[in-house]
Amino acid sequence: MEYVLKNGIVYDPANKVAGEKKDVMFKDGKIVDSVSADAKVLDVTDKIVMPAGIDPHAHVAGPKLVVGRIYRPEDSRKGVTHKTDILRSESGFSIPSCPSTGYRYSRMGYGTVVEAAVPPLEAKHTHEEINSTPNLDIVPLSLFGNNWFVLQYAKQNQIEDLAGFIAAWLRLAKCYGVKIVNPCGSEAWGWGMNVHGLDDPAPYWDVTGREVVTALAKANEMLGLPHSVHVHPNDLGHPGNYPTTVSTMEALKDIEKNSTVRGQTMHLTHAQFHAYGGTSWRDADSGADYIADYVNNNDHVTIDVGQVTLDETTTMTADAPMEFDLYKLSGLKWANKDVELETAAGIVPVIYSGKAPVNSLQWAIGLELFLKVNDPWKVCLTTDHPNAGPFIRYPRIISWLMSNERRQEMMDNREVHPWSHRRTSLASLEREYDFNEIATITRAGPAKIYGFQDRGALTPGFNADIAVFDINPNDIDPSRNHEAIEKGFSSAMYTIKDGEILVKDGEIVKVVKSHTLWTDVKGMEEQEKRVMDRVMPDFTKYYTIKFENYQVHDKYLPNPIVTEVQAGK
Amino acid sequence: MKTITFNQKKTSQIALEFDELIPDEVYSWEKADFEKYMVPIGNSRFPLTDYFDIEVEGSAESPEEIKMILNGDYGRVKYIGTKMGAGEIIVNGPVDLHCGSQMKGGSILVNGDAESYAGREMEGGSLTIMGNTREFCGCSYIGDWRGMNGGTITIHGNAGKQLGECLSGGSIYVKGDCDILAGIHMTKGFIQIDGDVTRWPGGQMKNGDIVINGELGRLLEGFVQQEIVENPEIDGKDFSGKYIKYTGDIALNGKGRLWLDAEKNRHLLY
Amino acid sequence: MANYEPPVTDYESIVENCTCAFCGCNCDDLDYLIKDGHVVGVRHACRLGASKIMEDMDQRLLVPMIRGEDGELAETDWDSALDKAAELIAGAVRPIFYGWSETSIETMHHGLELGELVGAVLDNQATICHGPSLQAVQNAGYPISTLGEVKNRADMCLYTGSNAMNSHPRHMARYSTFPRGYFRPRGRFDRTVVTLDPKYSDTAKMSDIWVGFEQNGDYEFYNAIRAVLKGKKLQKEFISGIPKEDVEELAEAMKNVQFGALFFGLGLTHTLSKQRNIDIAIQMVADLNSYTKWILMPMRGHFNVNGFNIFMAFETGFPYGVDFARGYQRYMNGETNTIDLLTRKECDVFMVIAADPGAHYPGGAVKHLAEIPVIQVDIHWGPSTEIADVVLPGSFVGVEVGGTSYRMDGVPIWMKKAIDKPETCRDDEWIIKEILERVKKIKAEQGALASK
Ligand code: SF4
Ligand SMILES: [Zn+2]
Repeated sequence: MEYVLKNGIVYDPANKVAGEKKDVMFKDGKIVDSVSADAKVLDVTDKIVMPAGIDPHAHVAGPKLVVGRIYRPEDSRKGVTHKTDILRSESGFSIPSCPSTGYRYSRMGYGTVVEAAVPPLEAKHTHEEINSTPNLDIVPLSLFGNNWFVLQYAKQNQIEDLAGFIAAWLRLAKCYGVKIVNPCGSEAWGWGMNVHGLDDPAPYWDVTGREVVTALAKANEMLGLPHSVHVHPNDLGHPGNYPTTVSTMEALKDIEKNSTVRGQTMHLTHAQFHAYGGTSWRDADSGADYIADYVNNNDHVTIDVGQVTLDETTTMTADAPMEFDLYKLSGLKWANKDVELETAAGIVPVIYSGKAPVNSLQWAIGLELFLKVNDPWKVCLTTDHPNAGPFIRYPRIISWLMSNERRQEMMDNREVHPWSHRRTSLASLEREYDFNEIATITRAGPAKIYGFQDRGALTPGFNADIAVFDINPNDIDPSRNHEAIEKGFSSAMYTIKDGEILVKDGEIVKVVKSHTLWTDVKGMEEQEKRVMDRVMPDFTKYYTIKFENYQVHDKYLPNPIVTEVQAGK
Repeated sequence: MKTITFNQKKTSQIALEFDELIPDEVYSWEKADFEKYMVPIGNSRFPLTDYFDIEVEGSAESPEEIKMILNGDYGRVKYIGTKMGAGEIIVNGPVDLHCGSQMKGGSILVNGDAESYAGREMEGGSLTIMGNTREFCGCSYIGDWRGMNGGTITIHGNAGKQLGECLSGGSIYVKGDCDILAGIHMTKGFIQIDGDVTRWPGGQMKNGDIVINGELGRLLEGFVQQEIVENPEIDGKDFSGKYIKYTGDIALNGKGRLWLDAEKNRHLLY
Repeated sequence: MANYEPPVTDYESIVENCTCAFCGCNCDDLDYLIKDGHVVGVRHACRLGASKIMEDMDQRLLVPMIRGEDGELAETDWDSALDKAAELIAGAVRPIFYGWSETSIETMHHGLELGELVGAVLDNQATICHGPSLQAVQNAGYPISTLGEVKNRADMCLYTGSNAMNSHPRHMARYSTFPRGYFRPRGRFDRTVVTLDPKYSDTAKMSDIWVGFEQNGDYEFYNAIRAVLKGKKLQKEFISGIPKEDVEELAEAMKNVQFGALFFGLGLTHTLSKQRNIDIAIQMVADLNSYTKWILMPMRGHFNVNGFNIFMAFETGFPYGVDFARGYQRYMNGETNTIDLLTRKECDVFMVIAADPGAHYPGGAVKHLAEIPVIQVDIHWGPSTEIADVVLPGSFVGVEVGGTSYRMDGVPIWMKKAIDKPETCRDDEWIIKEILERVKKIKAEQGALASK
């Protein structure tokens, strides 16, 4: 089937197309540069056309999510909708059911989402949920930062073996890349403790977060994985944590990049939660300058923000000690899920309110990061869904980024507490994003950061993953019309995935199966074998499951997209 | 004023659901509209008039002007008055689950017993039950820590377990006896029980007041005896006589207040 | 040892790393000894597991059956049986699809699609066992871990309302008490075992400390422990029959371990204050985490009871007792659960998948079941067969067919196939899918009729 999207205003930052009126053509699921006269014409005159959205960091599938759904029926109840001829009924606000997750991203013009935290022991669970989430390609990242074998390799600085371990475990868990969460801290949580800063060792293991992050980053580059290490540093959510964040970035500064498809050697995730000054919540203030300055002056780091949206939501992270602290603050119900030899997780409902000083400060720090990082290719739009807010709020965040007037209004009329401007410089930041920058932080940038070679741009040969929005960029002042911007980006005029029209006029018209992206490393066979010989005795002794039953069989990935990587190349 | 009268023709084994038949929805309906209406039963819908004769008298511009009189046995009719915002419903007979749940205003009078979840998550208005009610009267939706937060529930008979669970506002009066764990997890609001209480009122409560004028069977260790107060003022209401005042549940540093009639509860004094 | 049985030596092949399809321990270290296409021996399993796996062929359902006019079950072909089941389901007003805890997630997928299509209630055994635990979790939280955390770290294991030695025979041996863990190299000697139970159970006998509080005293007991943890001096001399000094001592001991694990069973959920016992135990565990590390875990019964809850939660947002009658999901304890719908006599067609509803149901519910059409999908002749109108013989997950299950701690396991099923049986997954297809056809015909 051939199509022409006719007369749209195209934003395709990867191809340096910034608001040009032109046609976009696709055939048999791929973008092409010409079609025959039989091509079906979709008239999108003066509408915004972009590549489909890519969410570089969210929690959408897996054991943490399901704990959230099991123990928060009051959240599930919020989003319940009636089934239709093609859609199943939906549920949930902050932790939607799998079908709802697929539908809602699809309606916003998204096509790809990164699931940022997979414990290998429970990877089958994540893959089961991915398969139940339609209309999206999902990119799972595997957790390595507190894995017992990783702790040992890092301590002994055995980078080559660690690389072999990563290669083997990405294949076992069928994941795309390396995620690190509070390195050594989640292991400390096995004893109800945490680590503080980058140099506080995990109890009993005598290894520090610095050693773990560095070793994993080196191994990641030795393999030349398409994505860099994806780092959630220590001290998340603690006032005065920005120095830890900066030292984590500095620790990886000299690691040589071994990839042509991405620019960074470290992705710092949900930077907002790691950009606090002060010593306690009493005197906390913004540390956004320090993070933004570092990112502006160094090219080895990219970030996503984790913008607070001021909603009631459900926080969930492998940073379990932080979640327990949150629980003690709020007194609401606490869930926790530690995974043997691998990681921990905590889950707590949180009500972010513009009336609350701390939440307002967090809101402002997130926006500061967006506005202070100069190069939009280095910063991505996320809410760390559902941690800082549900992903359905992305359009609202876009409206804030495009309108200084709206931001000032919120501060003036006290939709947010005065801490938002007293303790940050948000009020003085006049920068407003344009549509091309929005396309960069939601599409082109994330694609580059993940080294995607098939999406995130309207390049001939790429997947025909396209979003059209009912906004005429030449006829709207986003600064004045934040509501129209939010509305426009909330419901795509078209969402096209692999050349199929999934959404039309904000309604889903077609439901398709999702794909799962994972990375298959070649050329480490010898190291992998050495690693397995070493790991197996401990695996047998300390896991409670047989190795044969640990791995994710192919049957859990009915629609895989495999990125093959030649290690070291 | 418009009076809408339901006279039951037959009952159903599978419950009918009345959530669409609240004054806010039907105030402009005429008899013919009711005759067209298909009521949810299980996974299907059936003509409402299979089950009721319906009379409509007078006219109404708004839900406030509606009086619905439901005659018969509503023991298999769920969600009567759910989410209603105004008007009046009188049921002359027993009601099924969720009567008056999430109610925002207006009034419901049940001349009979009420099944569980009466007044769940009520926000305003008044719900009066002349008979008994079963479990979870005036509670929250499962999992939610915010329960009923406004309005008044009055039960003239006895109340079942976990009355006012997660209560976060409003008042509940029980003229008869009450079963275990009244006011469990409550954070605000007022419960008064005139009859006897079996066990453990106020478990895991954080704040609010529970007054028991009858005899209490067993009290939790989480409650600390403070003082004996004569003619106390509780939640803005005057009480006469002597009350033992406890605070709790200290198991979670709660600041709730439990008031027991001192005469009837000497056995608990220490 | 009176019941000593000599090891099986007469077998042709061994299949290793099989998963036991019995209790929520999902032991995945079993070796099946195979001869002539049958499992003739099982290594490593406990008695419960082994006897389930080496099933009694006498009790095996082998052919589809329909109950005739005469009230007797008569053998029939698959088409007739499936058509009959589909016809019953398509015509039902308040259908319940119950069970699921002894079949695979793969089967549940089709069951859910069918339930959404016709507007059924989907429910599992949680409704009669750990339902109150899930309600408590929803109120108070869910601090859990995988079982390996307990094996490697725990220096205190506390069982409450659970006689694990009988219900989950390898739980203590494989996961909690006896195994040598990374930080507990001496296994049992590195751990203190506590049992809280009114009865001096087999598990209590294996324990270092037994606290036998009075029946129905659970809530008060946990409330007192929490009060002690908050620094309160207890007023009463005895709390639920236990001297206050003992309560204080236990609270102190729990505070001073490095890693504690509380396992709770149905005993805790089925007393007077039901879900609130778990509710307060959860909050106690949360309190303890201010001092040291504690986790808790429900001792889930069937090997996929947790799997159904997980599956339903990720598909629909709710874990069990999910009602699709109105075209969207509803979850309401006391309303959308099997027992309530049966005792209220609301259900009009009941499909039971790999479960035995009779055994734990209150009398009223069983009586109603005898009065309505019942469709049974199972491998064994059982009480459900006695009341079934359509019997559809399935196959044995983890032995005759592969499938995904979730262990009590949420660890997913692929349970592989070891032998072929009897030729006349079908896989559960196939059966439910077939019913679904046939119901779709009936609905399409009805739709076509209605639009004429
Ligand atoms: S403990 Fe449970 S799972 Fe393990 S072998 Fe025994 S019955 Fe099977
Ligand atoms: Zn995250």
